[in-house]
Amino acid sequence: MTEIIVKNLGLTKDGATLLEGAGFTLRPGQLIALLGPNGAGKTSLIRTTLGMEKRCSGTVNLGGTDSESLSPMERARRVAYLPQQRPLAWPNSVRDVVALGRFAYGAAPGRLNPKDAKAVDTAIELCDLTELTTRHTDTLSGGELARVHCARAFAAEAPLLIADEPVAALDPRQQFRIMNIIQAYVDRGGGALVVLHDIPLAAKYASHLIWMQEGRIAAEGPPEQTLTAQRMADIYGVRARIDGRKVEIEGAI
Amino acid sequence: MTRTSWLIPALLIASVLAMFGACLLGSTPMSPARVLSAFLGGTDAADRLVVWQIRLPRALAAYLVGAALGISGAALQGLLRNPLAEPGVLGVSASASLAATFSLYYGLAAVSPWVLPMAAMFGALAATSLIAIAAIRTQSVVTLILIGVGLSSFAGAAMSLLMNLAPNPFSLSDMINWMLGSVANRSFREIGFSVPFILAGAAILLASRRGLSALTLGEEAASGIGLDLRRQRILTVLGAGLATGGSVALGGAIGFVGIVAPHIIRPFVGHDAARSLIPSAMLAGLILVLADIGVRILPSTNELKLGVVAALIGAPAFVWIAMRRRAIND
Repeated sequence: MTEIIVKNLGLTKDGATLLEGAGFTLRPGQLIALLGPNGAGKTSLIRTTLGMEKRCSGTVNLGGTDSESLSPMERARRVAYLPQQRPLAWPNSVRDVVALGRFAYGAAPGRLNPKDAKAVDTAIELCDLTELTTRHTDTLSGGELARVHCARAFAAEAPLLIADEPVAALDPRQQFRIMNIIQAYVDRGGGALVVLHDIPLAAKYASHLIWMQEGRIAAEGPPEQTLTAQRMADIYGVRARIDGRKVEIEGAI
Repeated sequence: MTRTSWLIPALLIASVLAMFGACLLGSTPMSPARVLSAFLGGTDAADRLVVWQIRLPRALAAYLVGAALGISGAALQGLLRNPLAEPGVLGVSASASLAATFSLYYGLAAVSPWVLPMAAMFGALAATSLIAIAAIRTQSVVTLILIGVGLSSFAGAAMSLLMNLAPNPFSLSDMINWMLGSVANRSFREIGFSVPFILAGAAILLASRRGLSALTLGEEAASGIGLDLRRQRILTVLGAGLATGGSVALGGAIGFVGIVAPHIIRPFVGHDAARSLIPSAMLAGLILVLADIGVRILPSTNELKLGVVAALIGAPAFVWIAMRRRAIND
């Protein structure tokens, strides 16, 4: 079973402490929502966990190996990563972009072995892109593009997924579609860590919440335990009414 | 699918035809039959001389120079994720020809026939490395192109300085050849000294081409799907530097082919940088062979320089591509 175990992670850059004593565990079957205001260190936590940013202290065990000693290919086969910035330099076809998800297996667009092709087709189906496979990415809407990136991540068939704001700038329906796709991935046995800014969405889907503030993990646990009006005030500085997993944000404090 | 299987065969046929055409045309037009018989070692010694010693090496040199620039352009565009990247625009060609001229001016080139290509290579690699280092620090391709403009201007100024100091008119005309680009009077011997570098560069670019596909996702996601960014940068810079250096050693600084060819090829290969390398090389070679035929048959007292013709076609294309471009990543 592939899991990520992060302990006591610290990161300092140019004298600024970006992470301090951060730790969490991501297992298959979990859908963790990583919450916190802008600048809380969510992206730093992800990049340091993946070994893309060199940590200053702590340990990261990614499926039995230190994440910094994994080659990019080995890492990609264990965890699919959807970064916050998702530029597409060229107007490739949808299928070619999804095919890039097989990069860590030695495949390339236009050069897929049957196993790669099958993974790509499955990912395209899961993300509801069958009608769009030959379309060029510069003709797609924001919602369609978000699904293309999801499919690209799923094509890797990695046991874990880390997605940094996968629903940013999407309309509510598209947000639900993406979250349903991620939920289905977790139901099939995957483990997902997703950065979200939409607390109601996080409360609806996540099995665990990680609350970050100023480079530290302020709280962690199921929504029922960690989602409180007090926490919303502490972390985000907003007044909120909480009822179980239902959240109503009333305004800034 | 936009990938077309006829693309490479068609380019191959066109390239062979263009090379053959280059052997037919010239100050003494020869019939296809005469050229063919000269190719096959026919009886007329003069014909054999014209074809084997003059026209074929020249056409081959034009093709090699073009192919090297085409593959370097396509690879640099993939690495920098910008259709305007090219050895000429980025100042790589100018730096290479500065180094080549320098070795000519100081008579270093007379020491060994390898000195000139090595010097060109050194100039190309130095400029490509500088661009690549800048590319790590800045995400803006505009900045890179401005650095290229700076490099080109500097190399141009330094070459003017060398010209002012040139001891005799002979070295002056040599320098002009390198500055403007020309494949006139090339022999198989000179080709032989450049080809190893061009081939080595092309081999490195082809071996590392898969990473160029990944880079369409941006560096963060490309690294996420398993690309070793550092390695990719080094290999592409090294490959493009070697190929460009080899092409400059053979034909001087010829600009814009490296932009035009990949731009035409891209829609045929699904806009995939990796798949654009080989067809871009072939098309760029073809364009230069055709341009060089133009240079030779245009009635003018002083033969035009190939680089001038390439820029006359390529520079407007560059402006056109730049104007149509939407701001995607800068």
